[in-house]
Amino acid sequence: MNAEKELTGKIFDIQGFSLQDGPGIRTTIFFKGCPLRCPWCHSPESQAFKSQLSFLAAKCVGTESCADACVKACPENAVEYGELKDGVKPGEKKQLIHVNREKCTECWKCADACYPKALSKCGTDYTLDEVVKIALRDKMFYEDTGGVTLSGGEVLSQPEFALELLKRLKEEGINTAVDTTGFVKWEVIESILPYTDLFLYDLKNMNSELHKAVIGVPCELILENAKKIAAAGGKLQIRIPFIPMFNDSEENLRLTGQFVKELGDAVTMIQLLPYHNLGSVKYTRIMDNPKIFEATPPSDKKVQWAKEILESYGIKVGIH
Amino acid sequence: MYQFKPVTERIAKLRQQVRDRVIRITAERSEIVTKSCQENENVVPIIKRPLYFKALCEQMTLLIQDNELIIGNKGPDMFASPAFPEWGSTDWVVKQIEAGRWNYKDGEYRNPKEDGIDYIISEKDFRSMQSVMDYWKDRKVGTMADAWKPDCYDELERLNVSSYVKNGPSLVNFPAGHLIAGYEKIINTGYKALRDQAQSWITEHEGNLMGEDVEKYMFYKSVTIVCDGAITLVKRYAALCAEQAAQCTDPARKKELEQMADSLEWISENPVRNFWEAVQGTALYQVMLAIMNRTPALAIGRFDQYTWPFLKKDLDEGRLTMEQAQEIVDAFFLKLNCFYNAGAPEIVKTTGIGNTYQNVTVGGVNKKTGEDATNPVTFMVFETIGRLKLHDPTIVFRTNKDTPDELWECALCTSKQIGGIPLYYNDDVVIESMINEVGYELEDARDYGCIGCQEIVGSGNDYPAPNGIHPPHASIWWGSVLDMAINDGKNPYNNEQSSLHTGFLYDMKSIEEVRDAIYKMGDHVMRLFITINNYSEMYAQFYAPEALLSMSIEGCMEKGKDVVKGGAKYNSYGGTATGLATLADSIATIKYMCFDHDYCTTRELYDAVMANWEGYEPLRQRILAEVPHFGNNDPYVDEEMNWVVNMYYDICSKLYSTRAKRYKAGLYGASDHVNQGKVTWGTPDGRKHPDPIADAASPGQSRDKIGPTGVFASSCCYDQSKYLGGIALNLRMHPSVLSNDEGLGKLRDITKDYFRHGGMEVQYNVVDTETLKDAQRDPDAHRDLVVRIAGFSAYFIELAEDLQNDIISRNENVI
Repeated sequence: MNAEKELTGKIFDIQGFSLQDGPGIRTTIFFKGCPLRCPWCHSPESQAFKSQLSFLAAKCVGTESCADACVKACPENAVEYGELKDGVKPGEKKQLIHVNREKCTECWKCADACYPKALSKCGTDYTLDEVVKIALRDKMFYEDTGGVTLSGGEVLSQPEFALELLKRLKEEGINTAVDTTGFVKWEVIESILPYTDLFLYDLKNMNSELHKAVIGVPCELILENAKKIAAAGGKLQIRIPFIPMFNDSEENLRLTGQFVKELGDAVTMIQLLPYHNLGSVKYTRIMDNPKIFEATPPSDKKVQWAKEILESYGIKVGIH
Repeated sequence: MYQFKPVTERIAKLRQQVRDRVIRITAERSEIVTKSCQENENVVPIIKRPLYFKALCEQMTLLIQDNELIIGNKGPDMFASPAFPEWGSTDWVVKQIEAGRWNYKDGEYRNPKEDGIDYIISEKDFRSMQSVMDYWKDRKVGTMADAWKPDCYDELERLNVSSYVKNGPSLVNFPAGHLIAGYEKIINTGYKALRDQAQSWITEHEGNLMGEDVEKYMFYKSVTIVCDGAITLVKRYAALCAEQAAQCTDPARKKELEQMADSLEWISENPVRNFWEAVQGTALYQVMLAIMNRTPALAIGRFDQYTWPFLKKDLDEGRLTMEQAQEIVDAFFLKLNCFYNAGAPEIVKTTGIGNTYQNVTVGGVNKKTGEDATNPVTFMVFETIGRLKLHDPTIVFRTNKDTPDELWECALCTSKQIGGIPLYYNDDVVIESMINEVGYELEDARDYGCIGCQEIVGSGNDYPAPNGIHPPHASIWWGSVLDMAINDGKNPYNNEQSSLHTGFLYDMKSIEEVRDAIYKMGDHVMRLFITINNYSEMYAQFYAPEALLSMSIEGCMEKGKDVVKGGAKYNSYGGTATGLATLADSIATIKYMCFDHDYCTTRELYDAVMANWEGYEPLRQRILAEVPHFGNNDPYVDEEMNWVVNMYYDICSKLYSTRAKRYKAGLYGASDHVNQGKVTWGTPDGRKHPDPIADAASPGQSRDKIGPTGVFASSCCYDQSKYLGGIALNLRMHPSVLSNDEGLGKLRDITKDYFRHGGMEVQYNVVDTETLKDAQRDPDAHRDLVVRIAGFSAYFIELAEDLQNDIISRNENVI
């Protein structure tokens, strides 16, 4: 037993007081790594399966304040002096740093040295005990409806850890939700079904060619799995990221509405998630010169129009 | 989602007047009071004060404006702030004008724009106030209290750890205030019955006063004089209404004025008969109390409970519609907004610009049955606040397990409109606390209300003095106590040494020794502080009796005893400790860095604090990043918070005065944490002087990292029911949390969860950081943006910059 490596999951964030990742007050655990590449993705740090060095300039107190902690810690000289930022007091300047990603070997020494965690290792290997302990921290707020949501990235790309975590949470009597792209082998979903109270299930586009062209994978498997979950007695909260020029046509909305309607009682509601560009700033934390998806967020009127179309299929629709 | 309804035209006009108000400082009261006091120069204070109240009632200018439905004024202007020369609390106006600080134009002086609120005074009124300064110089209520003080005062003043500071405010600057007067009794009894009650005792005992009867005689005499004044004043308003009605050409208004005249004539002596009279009667008693004294934080109490029986009767008998009733409530709240007292800029910055502190408590339970007491007036109060966007008065929302969801929704939608309003209170914790801490009877405990910032008091039966006997003397500066405790009793801010030596941090061998030093230092400073409170209480029992207030407070008429002497049914006093999280974080820092881990020596940490962290930035950064901080549901530091608040409670529980057997602990503090930060040297938690200390009972600014669940969970780490003085927990919510019904429901649920786990109070600011920063850049575009500090809500753009920054630095909770 001792020789066996303890099971761990790569997690990039754990957030309490999540209000939009399922019913009630929830804690959301974000799994790192995703097989899809949605151009509008607002958590770019969720995509890669390996840990990444993240630099959040807003948290950097300036190298004057930390006595060059990160610069000194780096054995590869990859942490360089970057731009000067205005301090709080007039005339005060803060010397920020810049990570030379070519030189960086991801040894995390700079992140360990950084006091304010402006430099951090995005993606930490957690044991089950560690995650469960944090998830239970907010138990007093879960009540009957709230609980824990596993999100990502793609949770089911780490199937073994996800399954064991869900089992443990159910043992603790906690309501569980899994936020998934659905792009995963049915066997994996089948294995977690008994321990999953709700699937937060993305339907991005009903047109498989377009789906593949934009996101990188087709949608048949995703639709198939949704049907199987419904048939097996699982509950689904359908999520539709509402993206301009991609899935905002009436035709796609109607096809989606019809598909969801056919899933029957399994569906609790549709969550319409209008595109926003708040995530774009997050790209620069983990890479230089990112390619950022640019679009105008849909108007309230347009979102309302979409909501009404979906509602016409007799489904409860919420906007977030 | 609850929808606020549009207002009527007349209310919209009054609302605009209130938003555009310029506070006019007026000398009329000063002239009447000075003349009366000169005529009665050597009359004993318990009679002299009622005599000048009566003179005010007979002589002051009365006003009724075009659109007014509820009337009442404090001087010859709708927004008059009268002068109080006998307290000296308006002397600052004269001094500032004499010093050339105000701008003169066209016969009037105006204060500088930077004060954040507009005051105006005519040259004539200024000259009038100036001319009586000499007379009052040695005749103020507090003159003798300041002329001689107990010997220990010197040490307290030198240490600079409280409002008792060199060149600070008088020991007796204001009456205690901070209570709920007996509005319910006044409107249900009438001034004539009260006068008769006093007179019948007098008649029975005249010429035969033995033992304590002589004290009762003086009290009842004082009551007859103030009743005569009150009756006169209300009759004068009735006459003015009749006069205006006679001249009015608009038939609808004419009829209204005639009705008002009839009602006022009736309530000048008798109990009220209907809803309008109940509301008007409440407003007029408030006017009287406000011209008698510059009474701080005089709260309206459970308005929805004591007015509803009258509205119900009116509705049942078809005399009034709900819409008409709503307009009366609107008019009442706008009227309260006319009662602002001009305050000196340096004080206003702490207590809130534009706040009248006339808190209104709604919701809660029926005092007899304990059942939820929500009624239509409860909703009307929220409707008024929400649709008129009023940040004042503060609304206190009492919740219990049976509070209807519709009312929660209405309250949360109000929070969304008006930063920090209402305050959410938990009946379960508070009622139990009232019984355990001060011994209220169950029915009285169920009838509690809130005043000032957060303080919990009885309704019309209590002399609670929760801000000390004479405000602002309500708190010691705990950050400085901490610094002194680790510096052998010397305050590093000014190098003054106390008579108590506690040793140096670098000689302390364990965290227990550190805690012990803090306890001893806190106990020492609190005892010094309360000694002076007790001295000024003894003094005020002779010099500042309160007949007008006492006659409405249960117990006084029965016992023949003034409130200042302990006539009220309940007697206590108390104070507050703001920012105890700074102490908890500091103790956790010492424990974590020096004792549990060997990351630095106590000597290094001591040197860093004494240097105000200059030259120790890497160490400071490490502490900020690594040491557990209060507000993150981390037992390591939550245990220290528990220890700190219990220490404070323990010290308070041993303090008492002749009148009050109980000194209540409180964890709130207006915006004093910002001012205290300016006079508190650096602290071991990495806070630098002059940064603010933590705010009220909240975590240190930006130190809560895991969102509101962490703050709530940490805040349940101690028994909140011990802090009857009140607890303020501020949370800033991003507007997206309340963007739909689901979010609203979740915020309600989390608040309920917090309360179920022992939370007493919470208040929400619903605003995002960008909006606040925009408002700093472009104030004109954000004139109506309201935020809550700790003890008051205010227009953001009118706050001092350091207060604005303090709000921005609080963590914003998003999804």
